[in-house]
Amino acid sequence: MALLEVDDLTTYFHTRDGVVRAVDGVSFTVDRGETLGIVGESGSGKSVTCYSLLRLIPEPPGRIERGTAMFDGRDLLWLSRSELRKVRGKRISMIFQDPMTSLNPYLRISTQLIEALQTHEDISHRDALKRATAALEEVGIPEASKRVTRYPHEFSGGMRQRVMIAMALITEPDLLIADEPTTALDVTVQAQILEIIKQRQNDLGTAVILVTHDLGVVAGTCDKVLVMYGGREMESGTAEEVFYAPRHPYTRALQKTIPSLQAKGQELYTIPGLPPDVSKPIDRCAFYPRCPYPKTGKPAGERPQLEEITPGHCWAACGYCDSDAPIETVLARADEVVDDALPVEGETPA
Amino acid sequence: MSAPIGNPQEDFLVLDDVHTHFDMGKDLITRASKGVVKAVDGVSLTVRKGEILGLVGESGCGKSTLSRTIMQLIRPTAGHVWFKGQDLSAMSDAEVRRERINFQMIFQDPYASLNPRMTVLDTLAEAVKTRHPDLKRDALRGRVADLLRTVGLNPTHMKRYPHEFSGGQRQRVAIARALAPEPELIIADEPVSALDVSIQSQILNLLKRLVRELDLTMIFISHDLSVVRYISDRIAVMYLGRIIELGDAEAIVDRPLHIYTKALMSAIPEPDPRTERSRERIVLSGDPPSPLNPPSGCNFWPRSPTPHDERMKHVEPPFEEAAPGHWVAACPFCAPAAPVPQELART
Repeated sequence: MALLEVDDLTTYFHTRDGVVRAVDGVSFTVDRGETLGIVGESGSGKSVTCYSLLRLIPEPPGRIERGTAMFDGRDLLWLSRSELRKVRGKRISMIFQDPMTSLNPYLRISTQLIEALQTHEDISHRDALKRATAALEEVGIPEASKRVTRYPHEFSGGMRQRVMIAMALITEPDLLIADEPTTALDVTVQAQILEIIKQRQNDLGTAVILVTHDLGVVAGTCDKVLVMYGGREMESGTAEEVFYAPRHPYTRALQKTIPSLQAKGQELYTIPGLPPDVSKPIDRCAFYPRCPYPKTGKPAGERPQLEEITPGHCWAACGYCDSDAPIETVLARADEVVDDALPVEGETPA
Repeated sequence: MSAPIGNPQEDFLVLDDVHTHFDMGKDLITRASKGVVKAVDGVSLTVRKGEILGLVGESGCGKSTLSRTIMQLIRPTAGHVWFKGQDLSAMSDAEVRRERINFQMIFQDPYASLNPRMTVLDTLAEAVKTRHPDLKRDALRGRVADLLRTVGLNPTHMKRYPHEFSGGQRQRVAIARALAPEPELIIADEPVSALDVSIQSQILNLLKRLVRELDLTMIFISHDLSVVRYISDRIAVMYLGRIIELGDAEAIVDRPLHIYTKALMSAIPEPDPRTERSRERIVLSGDPPSPLNPPSGCNFWPRSPTPHDERMKHVEPPFEEAAPGHWVAACPFCAPAAPVPQELART
């Protein structure tokens, strides 16, 4: 059995303007020592998926509607508050995107590092401080014993993200959830941070869920990939399968938009239109309105079912576009439109 | 630093040894100087008419300060900025303001750079009027409609407010605003970094098309080399207030000479699992140093992966032409100029 098995996770936000279907039936598994990458554009529900696992969704307006998340035999979504506290920070830790706002500016780094230890373990202040210093050394902070008593503002962005990693890993959790851990950082620093996460993962055998919008980061660090769009799973599989044999039109289109894969001088391929508005129910493939593949029929009023291509490699089989069409002919109809105006309205399914 | 300066009288835009320093003032009690931030520290550069020059560097390297110095939003503390034969840095504020309709800027965050209380029509009409102050209502509207069409928006949306548009559309409005005064030079400061990948490519295509069709010149600033590589004709790599490498986009990407450029290139994650797992990375240690006490000599030495040599702390590397049109600040100690590749040697 895998360390974490998420099945049909569904999180809605009930706002005044309607129900926002942020995460709509997502399933995945993560094993010990494994890295799962969740990729998607903003609004695709990748962060909400992670927050839901630790129940960090503001309730109300958010609500986990259904689904299970079996972590080591227990369902995270139905733990009591006190049980949840024992899991958060001890067995599952999280790193957030912005290290500037996720550290408390009023508290010394040492206080913040020790807090997690003293909450979960019976440990003296002196030992905890030693562990905190060691944790900083492990993430490559020079002069750790001196810097452990400093305040967050005395660290640079990259250093602060290292502190966040040290803090998340100080309790040696089984699962680390990293939500866009390098998005706010420079590429050279990003390379350092990813390297540290990888190293610590090897040392501790931690499972990692890495949320990112950067396919390059996924390629370098992840064993498995989950591609999300409009709160749903579009495709999932091993990194090799998703990168070398993408099945879903969205995955293919996404790969085609990356500048570094394009020959210079050619027009960049663009996905026409805008990401879907998840505050309206979508009763078909969420990508259908933007799908560049030739349409083979009107979508019926139901969402596509997940289909397994090879064991472990799934895609949301839409069936209303000719996704076997060669990519070159599809890409021929590149950027012309743009008048996507505001949310695609009036397009009602037949 | 000697550099590839053109002829200020003839070339389109010439930066001649531009320095922009910020004095941090004196300590209130001890009266000791708090130091000087050398954001731009001796940049010489020529921008040719009609080209897209990419400017890359990490955060804090001074690329935004340089762009604002060209715009004369921040006056340089030393050096000259020549625009079409005129020395902008010697002009009065009023003269610069008149001249500024010829060079416009696009900012990173379209959420912050558009006035939320003005409709798109108002915003664009105001910008059009800087060039054509006498334009009356209908003509003005016609011009705004044209602008919106140019950037791929529906003119019927001109009465909308910025919040009624998505991020990508808002960036299009910001581009239309920059185009409104009919400028010749556009400085785009990280115009796509706030956007999603699928939207990013739309904006890149648009910018590239506009430069070609409207005969513009553009300085494209970004920290993302893969984006810069795609859009630029030439690339300038900036580090700690100085340009350390300059050349054709292909040359910089395929045959980088400075070790910093190489490290920057190798840090970009490639969306390909196999190459990504097997490739050699030059991982730089530490963060970019602060421009408020920059390291002496070759300012790259504290992060250089090569063994430190005492001499590099004292010798400022000269900016030299290593191959035709390819300039590099080659520090003989930390960045031994790479041997000229075979294919270049033959030509």
